[in-house]
Amino acid sequence: MTPVISVAGLTRRYRGQVALDHVTLDIEPGSITGLLGRNGAGKTTFLRILAGHEFASAGTVTVLGACPVENGKVLRQVVFVREDQSYPDLRVRRAVQTASWFYPNWSHELAGALLEEFDLPLDRKVRKLSRGMRSALGIVIGLAARAEVTLFDEPYAGLDPVARQLFYDRLLADYAEHPRTVLLSTHLIDEAAGLLEKVVVIDRGRIVLNTDADDLRGAATSVSGPAIAVAEFTAGRSVWDRRRIASQESAVVAGALDETDRARAAALHLHLEPLTLQQLVVRAAGGPAAGPAEKMSAERTSA
Amino acid sequence: MSTWISIAGYQLTNRLGFVILPWAILALDFVINLVIFTDSPAAGHGQPRYAGALASIYVILIITGAVSISVPLPFALALGVSRRSFYAGTALLALAVAAVYGLALTVLQLIERGTGGWGLNLHFFRVPYLLSGPWYLSWLTSFVGLALMLAWGMWFGIVYRRWNLAGLLTFIAIQVLALTAVLLIIGGAHDWHGVAHFFTTLTVGGLTGLLAALTVALLAGAYTTVRRLTV
Repeated sequence: MTPVISVAGLTRRYRGQVALDHVTLDIEPGSITGLLGRNGAGKTTFLRILAGHEFASAGTVTVLGACPVENGKVLRQVVFVREDQSYPDLRVRRAVQTASWFYPNWSHELAGALLEEFDLPLDRKVRKLSRGMRSALGIVIGLAARAEVTLFDEPYAGLDPVARQLFYDRLLADYAEHPRTVLLSTHLIDEAAGLLEKVVVIDRGRIVLNTDADDLRGAATSVSGPAIAVAEFTAGRSVWDRRRIASQESAVVAGALDETDRARAAALHLHLEPLTLQQLVVRAAGGPAAGPAEKMSAERTSA
Repeated sequence: MSTWISIAGYQLTNRLGFVILPWAILALDFVINLVIFTDSPAAGHGQPRYAGALASIYVILIITGAVSISVPLPFALALGVSRRSFYAGTALLALAVAAVYGLALTVLQLIERGTGGWGLNLHFFRVPYLLSGPWYLSWLTSFVGLALMLAWGMWFGIVYRRWNLAGLLTFIAIQVLALTAVLLIIGGAHDWHGVAHFFTTLTVGGLTGLLAALTVALLAGAYTTVRRLTV
């Protein structure tokens, strides 16, 4: 399958600072990819370059088969919803109407339904909206555009949990009917985990993890119980992290566990808990244990 | 092309800058002039009364031009519009606005002529030399003048968006320096006589042509700076 987004050796330097460092990444059509990483890791710069808002210092960027910079044919199929979008002096109704003019696949029904569900006041000026409402407006536009390439950069600043759930539900429902390529940068990893098919973790301008979300589930397990039992269970395994409080120990074991392992853990009275996506990402993105994270991404790439 | 028209439609969301302010201020100026000249017979009969307030619409359109780039651009880019299309659509609207407003000013000028200066011998829409010829020439001159203001403003807006206040001040400084350089060159060549001769013999049509060339230069210059603008 030809990738919708193909980036090779992408580097973006600002004065004395490297925002993106030789990023190479292909994204297949019809997928929802989570773009994860810490603040300032380069997620926004990456999305801005894909949308043609920012320019690469080096490397190549291909979106829908061509360079997106000033390419009307490509950009017509790209929508970019960003956290800090600035709007001119217009009302919600007009903002949505304006957006509809630029997208060939725009859905008025979906826009109308979403506006109602998010309870957005149509006649209010966008500048008078609260932070959460402004985020909701961005989401309405991003979804109703039904653009081939849909880029969401932290789209839900200030949005309440109910509205966020609404976003996840509507995104999934509309995505099922109208498949497209969605990139979602977010910090609310576990919340969005159910949505993501692919996970890309950026840290300090470099991609440290790029894998199927399914492969990550159960990629590591936290084993806890009596220290002696934990030691017995983890012997000969790759252990990322050990924590001990008195006679109790908890260790993070890399690699999937099979039935035999589980039975053994049960016999040793050990408690098993798979690491959540968020915990895995924290490790990958230079968290407390950066060493194993590099190892993990190395394992992934070799696999 | 359809993107350009959509952009023009999007720009017209700013009714205040494109429609209301230019005409409201002009109308206010006009009313003030009417009141002043009605109450002051001092100027004497038969003496033409020159207002000069027509300049307000030109000044406001510079600001409108600047705002038409700096404010609506980020949202347009988010909607997958290229800088080029955004610029082309905005320039297209600027030319259309200049043409329509130029025509409106020409019609008002004709009414002013027909009513003997609104019964007060007021010269509000008539400007000696510049806007005193046949209607089509007045229209052309107004059109070019208004388009020039919008184009100039648009370039200011682009420079501000791209290089912020420091860039804007540099841009203004460059323009002042360029003007100074021209004056110095003429002074150095001791050719003020030739310049004076040029301007005194220049017809309104010739001047309009010069302004049109300047407008095209401004539009082209602005285009070169919009392409690598980031928001």
